[in-house]
Amino acid sequence: MIEVLGLRVVRPPATVALHQVDLAVRQGEFVVVLGRSGAGKTTFLRALNRLVEPTAGSVRVAGRLVTGAGAVELREIRRQIGMVFQQFNLVKRAPVIENVLAGRLGYVRPVASVLGRFPAADRELARACLAQVGLAHLADRRADTLSGGEQQRVAIARALAQRPAVILADEPTASLDPALTSSIMDILRTINQEHGLTLVVSQHQLETALAYASRIVGFRRGRVAFDGPPASVTPSVVREIYGE
Amino acid sequence: MTRAAVFVALAVFAWLVWDTGADPVRLARGVPWMLDFFRRMLPPDLRVLPAALQGAVTTVEIALLGTATAAVLALPLGFLSARNVAPRSFFYPARAVLNFFRSVDTLVYALVFVAAVGLGPFPGVLAVVAYTTTSLAKLYGEAVEGIDPGPVDAITAAGATPLQILRFGVLPQVLPLFLSYVLYRLETNIRAATVLGFVGAGGIGFYLQTYLRMIDYPAASTVLLVTVAMVMLIDAISSRLRDRLV
Repeated sequence: MIEVLGLRVVRPPATVALHQVDLAVRQGEFVVVLGRSGAGKTTFLRALNRLVEPTAGSVRVAGRLVTGAGAVELREIRRQIGMVFQQFNLVKRAPVIENVLAGRLGYVRPVASVLGRFPAADRELARACLAQVGLAHLADRRADTLSGGEQQRVAIARALAQRPAVILADEPTASLDPALTSSIMDILRTINQEHGLTLVVSQHQLETALAYASRIVGFRRGRVAFDGPPASVTPSVVREIYGE
Repeated sequence: MTRAAVFVALAVFAWLVWDTGADPVRLARGVPWMLDFFRRMLPPDLRVLPAALQGAVTTVEIALLGTATAAVLALPLGFLSARNVAPRSFFYPARAVLNFFRSVDTLVYALVFVAAVGLGPFPGVLAVVAYTTTSLAKLYGEAVEGIDPGPVDAITAAGATPLQILRFGVLPQVLPLFLSYVLYRLETNIRAATVLGFVGAGGIGFYLQTYLRMIDYPAASTVLLVTVAMVMLIDAISSRLRDRLV
C-alpha cells in the first residue's frame, strides 16, 4: 500500500532530516512510528503526501507514484491519503460539519465548493463520518467550542470523509490529556480493523504504541533503527531507538 | 554608548527646533489671537446647519463608497503581497507597488483626481479608493502572513486546489481581521474626507473652507461642530461593530 525507496529529505540549508529510508507497508497494517523528537517521524509522515518535498527517493501510495506527480495528479493521490495532525488543524471559527466537509474538497467541483455549494451526497457522507466518531450531535457547533479530544475526533472524521486508502496520523494524542489517548487510539483501531484502512501513526508513548500497533517502526536520527512486530520490542530495542 | 545616543538625540532635536523656527515665545504671543478667533466663532450660526449637514452626508458617502470599493480591490493585492501564499514572482512586485502608492496621502490623490475629472465628490471617492486600496492591501497581507499554517496543511493534504486552500484554509482565519481593518479604515477615511473639500473634492470641507474665506466664523463653527459630531458618531458605530468581530 505504501512503498518508500531511498527517501531522503534535506531541509535548507543542510539539515538532513531523513537519510535513506526504505519501507514497505502492506494493506491493513497498523504501523506505529516511534522515535525521540527530531528523529524524523513527522518529516517521514509529511513526505508521504509531499507536505514536505523529498530531496531524493521515491514514494508510492496505493500503487501511484507520489514523488514526481504533477499538481493535478498529486491532488488525486492526496485524496487517498487522510491525515491527522497533533494540533488537530481544524478551522477554528468554522462549524464542525464544514471542517468535515473539507475532506471532500478533492472530489467536488472546485468553483462550486469555493462558493460554498457541496453536493447533497457529500454532505451526507460528511455527516456519516461525523457519526462514526460519535459526534453527530455537534455538527453545527463552532469547532473551537469543542474540547481537544472532540476536536481530534472531528479531524479524524475529516480524514475519513476523503474515503482514503491510508490514514497518516502525526502524534494524534500528544496534545491531549493522557486519559483521552485511548479514546483516540480506539477510534483509529476501529477504522483499521473494520474498514481495512492502512494506518501509519507516530507516537511518543511506548506503551500505547505496543498496545495498538501491528508493526513498530523505530526512527533514530533520520534512519529506520527498528522494524518488527510489537512482541519483538525488547529493552535493548528500546535503547536502540531512544538511547543516547 | 547610551550617553552618546542621548547626546546625538538632543543635538538632532535642537537642530530641528532651530531649522523649523519653533519658538515658544511666538506661540505665547499668538495666544490672544487664538482666543479672539474662538470668541468670534461664538455663537455658532445655526442658519447654515442644513448646508453643513448636507456636506456631512456627502463626506460620509465619499468615505463609505471609497472604503467599500477599496476593501474589495485590496483583496487580490493583499494575498499577492503575503509571503506565505503568493508565488515568489508576484510577491516582490506587489510589495513594491503597495509601498509606492501608499507613500502618497489621500489629499494629494484628491488634487490629482480633481485635475483629472473635475470638481465634486467623485474625485474625492477616487482619492479615498487610491490610498485605501494600498493601505488595506498591506494590512490584509500582514494578516495572511500571520495565519496558523495548520488548517492550510490539512486542507492541502485533502487534495484541495490552491483556490480551495485560500477559501477554506486561509479566508476563515483572516476574514474577521479584514472586516475589522476595513472599519478602522472607514473611521480614518471619514476624517481624511473632511478636508477633501479644501481642494474641491466635495463634502463638508468645502463649506468649512468657504466660510473661513468669507471670514464668517460663526458659520464656520457650525460646520466644525457638525464635523466633530459626525466623526464621533461614525467612530462609535464602527468601534462597536469591531468589538463584535474579534
